[in-house]
Amino acid sequence: MADKFCMVVSEGSLDKALMPLIMGNTAAAMGMEVHVFYTFFGLKLLKKGMKPRLPGMMSLFTGIMVKKMKKLNIQDYQTMLKEARELGVKFYACSTSMSMMGVKDTDLVDGVKVLGASAFLNLAVDSKRTLFIG
Amino acid sequence: MHGYDITAGEMLLDKDATLDAKGLMCPMPIVQLAKKVREMKSGQVLELLADDVGAKEDVPAWCSRTGNALVGMEEEGKLIRFYIKLK
Repeated sequence: MADKFCMVVSEGSLDKALMPLIMGNTAAAMGMEVHVFYTFFGLKLLKKGMKPRLPGMMSLFTGIMVKKMKKLNIQDYQTMLKEARELGVKFYACSTSMSMMGVKDTDLVDGVKVLGASAFLNLAVDSKRTLFIG
Repeated sequence: MHGYDITAGEMLLDKDATLDAKGLMCPMPIVQLAKKVREMKSGQVLELLADDVGAKEDVPAWCSRTGNALVGMEEEGKLIRFYIKLK
């Protein structure tokens, strides 16, 4: 059985958006089974067509960062997300956060499973590593 | 057996496919590598070209993790050629 690798994402800024995808896509490419759980402000990252911005005041410089990434041939958020799903990375949305943030099932990208903490912890306790990104 | 290790030079003649990952930054060379390997058969040799500085550590780590053999590695300035024999 493949090694399991889990991540919890609780922030929705560009840096917190890219980190789990970079780590997750790499882990999937290394043959690991990857599970990412989005909660609190992280949840919005799973909304369709999401373009995350830099945190706080730096938000104003998001366009510069995105342009720089493009120049460096680094994939943008949506491309990385698509890649992750092609690689079989599993995405989960926290059910409580969905009510808190007013996010509906239909707002989410396809293939996201809505679940609660216990279902995710059930996966996480069996995984070799769990990272918290927030 | 002549007792020599296989050199990258010899491997050049025997490669079954080449993946050009030049200009791609971490983790793209590894992601592309994993995808390419899925299309190939056991025992085949893949040549991977990369110029991301991280690749020098990342490709050997990927090989040891996935059980594929890194049979050669050549550096030419920034460019690194990896030769990977698939398990």
